Amino acid sequence: MGATTCFFVNSMASEPQELARGLRRRDPELLDRLIEQYHYRLFRYLMYLTGRRETAEDLFQETWIRVIERGHQYDVRWKFEAWLFSIARHLTIDLVRKKSPLAGADELDEASGTSVSREAVEAALPMSRSPVELIANREESERVASALGGLPAAHREVLLLRFQEDMALEEIAQVTGAPLSTVKSRLYRGLEAMRDRLEGMKQ
Amino acid sequence: MNDLDHQRAERLMLEASVEALSPSDQSWLESHLAACEGCAALAESTTSVIEQLRGVSVAIDPELVARTRLLVKFRTRELERQHSWLMPVWVLCALSWVIGIVTAPLVWRGFEWMGHRAGLPTLVWAGGFVLWWAAPALVVVLLLGVGRRQAVSRT
Repeated sequence: MGATTCFFVNSMASEPQELARGLRRRDPELLDRLIEQYHYRLFRYLMYLTGRRETAEDLFQETWIRVIERGHQYDVRWKFEAWLFSIARHLTIDLVRKKSPLAGADELDEASGTSVSREAVEAALPMSRSPVELIANREESERVASALGGLPAAHREVLLLRFQEDMALEEIAQVTGAPLSTVKSRLYRGLEAMRDRLEGMKQ
Repeated sequence: MNDLDHQRAERLMLEASVEALSPSDQSWLESHLAACEGCAALAESTTSVIEQLRGVSVAIDPELVARTRLLVKFRTRELERQHSWLMPVWVLCALSWVIGIVTAPLVWRGFEWMGHRAGLPTLVWAGGFVLWWAAPALVVVLLLGVGRRQAVSRT
């Protein structure tokens, strides 16, 4: 992403009114830049939420389509990413409901199934340079992805939003539609479970 | 140090990784961690989990982004087309409502006159008037319904 674009998107993000107007107008340049800025974060969220690359890719496209269709509903009190992630989350839940109309309360769990870790691991991107670092990084990614995959989706989701997306607790509550206290308790339980799982894998 | 202290420390270290602790809790936790090796190891492990979570990444197919951009452009154009088609319908609808309101007393009298001439009960000719008045709105609703169904079937 070029410096000019980056500057433009950042200034847009700092002006929610401008962003809302652009979304209402379905400004193609703005949409292009939003995709450029948020594509990776959105895809990572969907990838770990659903655990399936194919599903994540479909939902990724659907989310952006929904952004242009529902742009007029964007509330300037929300951060754009919180709104974007909540759209993605609702689409995921809709997908689950379509697949199993009798899905229970923790519907996101249905979306993740059990193959989350394997596919998430396959999607892991080596970030290091040397082959040794690359292997170490991959192994670590595998461990983390595997541990994440074993968590209930509701716990996994809040961990991702908090520690990958650096979202404030209030924003996570907005995205998930859960009370703040629930978000906190999911974070505590998720962290605890992750710690136990990763420790268990070391031994 | 007893079990309750360790439990409190564990709870506080989880809380600390999610939000800021109160100064008193913070200083209690720090002094506990300095004195307890087990809890210090647990705190280190919690920090490490968070670092690992922050480091998690995925590979995204650049083709997916390109495809999405195209799809978004296509859908934007489609929505604009729909919007341009709907605009005249809304204008006509508004116009028909204005004309309908302005001419309502005259039309009412017309229906009344025809009803009396034909010997119809008041309910029948008044019903005819309501139907005549609501007809444009019903047509618009019908058109919108058809338009929406077509849009859904295209997507």
